[in-house]
Amino acid sequence: RDWDDDVEEADINAVDDTDGVDPEAEYAAWKLRELKRIRRERQAIEEAEAQLAEIERRRNLTEAERE
Amino acid sequence: RQHLIATGQTGEVKTATVEDVRNRLRWLARKRREDAKEEVIDVDARLEMARE
Amino acid sequence: MAKTEGYHRADEKALTDDRGYRGKLIRGQNPALLFEKGVRDRIIDSYYWKEQCFGLNEATLCDRAADLKYIGGTSGIMGKPTPFLCLAFKLLQLVPSRDIILEYLNFRDDVEENDDDVKAERHENGDDGAALNGTGIPDLNAQGKLGEFKYLRCLAAFYIRLAWEPVEIYKTLEPLLTDYRKIKRRTKDGFTLTYVDQFIDDLLTKDRMCATSLWKLRPRQDLEDLDLLEPRESPIADEIEDMDEGEADDVQVVSP
Repeated sequence: RDWDDDVEEADINAVDDTDGVDPEAEYAAWKLRELKRIRRERQAIEEAEAQLAEIERRRNLTEAERE
Repeated sequence: RQHLIATGQTGEVKTATVEDVRNRLRWLARKRREDAKEEVIDVDARLEMARE
Repeated sequence: MAKTEGYHRADEKALTDDRGYRGKLIRGQNPALLFEKGVRDRIIDSYYWKEQCFGLNEATLCDRAADLKYIGGTSGIMGKPTPFLCLAFKLLQLVPSRDIILEYLNFRDDVEENDDDVKAERHENGDDGAALNGTGIPDLNAQGKLGEFKYLRCLAAFYIRLAWEPVEIYKTLEPLLTDYRKIKRRTKDGFTLTYVDQFIDDLLTKDRMCATSLWKLRPRQDLEDLDLLEPRESPIADEIEDMDEGEADDVQVVSP
């Protein structure tokens, strides 16, 4: 077929997408990815909270200074 | 050509319903299973032939 | 509901007619504009588009999607669009109903009906959820239980990210973060291995995927604060709790 002429068999076969070859390893690899995602989310929340706290702190400072 | 019939040569193609889609996918899944089975049988037959 | 329209244009003329587009809109604009002009032009010029995508409807598109071997945007110095990208463009032309997109995403072949042969065979191959549970691996939706055609599933996910609203995007795509099936991804100069869950995560967090800039998705946290979303429950949340109590922060996470 014309449209996939440029796909080299060797290239596409260099990557194997067969599932279930080693279920334990595939699951373990997923768990690691999932863990990183969760950590990333938590970190983002912590950073946002820290930022809010900092804004709050500065506001309090200026108010205190005004008095 | 198949697509000319499918489009009735009017440049239009009928909208499919969710049932059409489900049936199509069932048919494709079945076809894929049968192809996989045939491949196994094919390999078995070839092994058999090689043994003989 | 389905009876109101009835027909699609077989070709892209209506879609690419800048002034005369009268089809369905996505967020107030012609869906084709979700792809960049250069990419659109290259899709419409491609053999795959002309020979394999002409005259497809929501059902016959499945034939092509079932044959997909990889995801990806464009490849080579010419920036040739992948079949995946061409089919995504076709979806932007068809704007399938929500039900149809969900069918692509979560299709499950209920072979139980009368196909005892197949059922028995699946069991032997350890292809069955119960059999895998025996090995202690939780039955997530990765064992081909949902979204049987994994590349079709990715295609639907990509479309959802482009075409749906933020709350729906999170609600519909996040469950796929447990689908750890392998997928091939075509890059500029070759192929790499990735996973359905990774692709979903990329769609939710990156601003560019598959040669397409993804419009800015409102952060999950904002939607939680507005009570539009519940916090996400990871299936391994409990395990993480245990780990945190035990060994604190010894896993280094590099932020992207």
